[in-house]
Amino acid sequence: MKGNTGKIVNVDLTAGRIDIETLPEEYYRKYIGGSGLAAKLFWERANFKADPLSPEAMLMFMNGPLAGIRVSGASRSSVGGRSPQTGHWGDSSVGGYFAPELRYAGFDGIVIKGRASQPSFLLIMDDKITIEDAAEYWGKGTEEVTRTLKGKYGKNYRTLVIGPAAENGVRFTLILNDGHNTTGRAGYGSLMGSKNLKAIVIKATKKERTLAEPAAFEAMRKDLNERIKGSLAANVLHEDGTAANLLGGMFIGDVPIKNWTSNYWEEAGEALSGGSLTSQYLTRRGACAYCEIACKRIVEVKDGPFAVPEGPGPEYETIVSFGCLMGSIDLAATCKAGRVCNDLGMDSISCGGTIAWAMEAFERGDLTLSDTEGIELKWGDMDTVINRILPAIARREGKLGDLLAEGSVGAAKKIGKGMDYTAHSKGLEAPMHDPRGGGQGMALSYAMSPRGACHVADPMMFMEMGGKYYPEIGFELILDPRSTENKALAATTSVALGAIENSACFCNFADGEVTIPDWLNLFNYVAGYDWTAEDMMLAGRRVFFLKRLINYRYGLTAGDDDLTPRMLEPARDGEVKGVQVDLAKMKKDFYKLMRMDPDKGIPTREALEDAGMAEEAQQVW
Amino acid sequence: MEFWKDSDEAVRTIVKLQEEAFKDPDLGPALKKVNQLILYDYTESGPGCAVWVDCRNGQLSCGAGDPPGKPDLVLSLSADDAHRAWSNKLNPIVAITRKKIRVKGSATGLLKLAPKTKRTAEIYTQLLKDLNMADKILK
Repeated sequence: MKGNTGKIVNVDLTAGRIDIETLPEEYYRKYIGGSGLAAKLFWERANFKADPLSPEAMLMFMNGPLAGIRVSGASRSSVGGRSPQTGHWGDSSVGGYFAPELRYAGFDGIVIKGRASQPSFLLIMDDKITIEDAAEYWGKGTEEVTRTLKGKYGKNYRTLVIGPAAENGVRFTLILNDGHNTTGRAGYGSLMGSKNLKAIVIKATKKERTLAEPAAFEAMRKDLNERIKGSLAANVLHEDGTAANLLGGMFIGDVPIKNWTSNYWEEAGEALSGGSLTSQYLTRRGACAYCEIACKRIVEVKDGPFAVPEGPGPEYETIVSFGCLMGSIDLAATCKAGRVCNDLGMDSISCGGTIAWAMEAFERGDLTLSDTEGIELKWGDMDTVINRILPAIARREGKLGDLLAEGSVGAAKKIGKGMDYTAHSKGLEAPMHDPRGGGQGMALSYAMSPRGACHVADPMMFMEMGGKYYPEIGFELILDPRSTENKALAATTSVALGAIENSACFCNFADGEVTIPDWLNLFNYVAGYDWTAEDMMLAGRRVFFLKRLINYRYGLTAGDDDLTPRMLEPARDGEVKGVQVDLAKMKKDFYKLMRMDPDKGIPTREALEDAGMAEEAQQVW
Repeated sequence: MEFWKDSDEAVRTIVKLQEEAFKDPDLGPALKKVNQLILYDYTESGPGCAVWVDCRNGQLSCGAGDPPGKPDLVLSLSADDAHRAWSNKLNPIVAITRKKIRVKGSATGLLKLAPKTKRTAEIYTQLLKDLNMADKILK
């Protein structure tokens, strides 16, 4: 097998057993890798009745075929399984340095089941894999554990570490790679924590991999890297990071404010922008493996109530979720909150969304001082958020900590109030892009994404902006973000491309320059798939279909492809005042174009058979 | 050219637009924050067809032709597309993606101006009226 190694590591933590399995090549051709391959393994191997935090639950780390190929954006990997946050299929992508190291060690993925009898970590040194004692790390923050593990083994050992929140079963927990890069979404830290697995440490001796057509690949690699580095997106991401365009987003109504009650706050746009972060707190820039964009921020807040030592800085999502979403324009507070979330091991999107929801609940009287045990939840009170609420959530301390550890949806269910002003789809808090400003297609993407509300499930957001088009496969539409026109049609392309991108584990900040011929060359030169564009798009659709089927087996139907009343109400102010998402028609058109059943929300039997999924069809039809 | 008599007319009008923008209480301060020397290179529509805007060091100036130094940012496009862009009838991201606008240099300043495209178009429309060029106003 070329490109991929064909091998995965199966770990049974209950039995303490590790074995290496060779996967059929057909799996890769049909499901690509990354979250697609993880979904395939889950479909055939998971006990669908198992609780996501039970020993039987599967936790999968999976590379795409492009890991370690020295192309900007190609060094991501995926984690997947039944989400402890949503209860259905989920996956989360992470950048950093883990993916190439795993590939160089000889593996495409790690599949973990069982529960260790005591806190443990997995140590992978090439093909030598052992389960080690992690008692000394349990209960400790990710920063300290990462530092200690790297001190013990070497700074070039790559680490995946969970924080105390994951040990305590908080729903929205992350896994942190090398102290900076997060698998933020859908709560996989807790799945790892439920297995008593504190960390994975990996080192490969050689940095080699086998390619199908090395000479052709090398020629394209240089050209592609130059194009990616020279692109406008790379330029602004390098300069000012992922929040570079926060001000522009604010003016078009894309940035949610005060729990999605407002779409315009100019002062926040200025104060929280990537440019402000650069000028006030940036000390240097960081990058994932082999990436020449270097969009990561290293920041230091020297003084004030939210001083933080030099270290990983906040991304756009953290800046908004711990900034204007909570009614704050304190950029230093977002730096601090991001660092605390990482250390405790919590996803800043869901955590920020949950706290913003709680602030509104408190304002409305749906949460009282009795519920919060005397903690006042006030818009913009970042001192309380950072110093009291975040630690309480991570340790499930007190009534408030335990309540908010369930996430906004779980908390609203628990108190029996406030569901109408949550912002989520399928139980996953929405990212910090409001479709009323960002675009109607974004709303459709949020609703259709198998893992729940997600702006990176597919490239729709960039397609609506005008930043992506694909003439080689006939997609040349210029979309109007405010209109529903052609959005369902565009989504048929975007869900397939999103599945390709996420299965290939490619960064969507880098892929603006990756054309359809580039994608084909990558897959064919690296992995030897010999794909045509049609083959590739079919593989993308197949991955999307399979994740939908998994969700269907968990009881989700078309009715779950929805947004909340808060997200569907007319925008209250700004450029988008009065704008409302018209989801129903886009959904109906999308199901029809994708040949999906409009009630069940899954592909028809015929659509599945045409996608080469006859066996899967038999299980659901 | 579709909209301009010649490149001289295009350049004169777009320089005048910059001068009007400098005076605007909203755009003037926003331009100063950009703090860059920007070259709008329209030479694909004719030799010397270019406008520069110098927003560095809290000062604002502009002119035609060669800029007074190495530009921080160069935007290359046709004079006709410039007319569409200043009229807010050309989505800059679409135009960049489809190579109608080529960008060289640091584009972070552009992001600071992105929210001001509507206001710029208002000034441009008024300017075209004042210069008896109302026939050029794009609906």
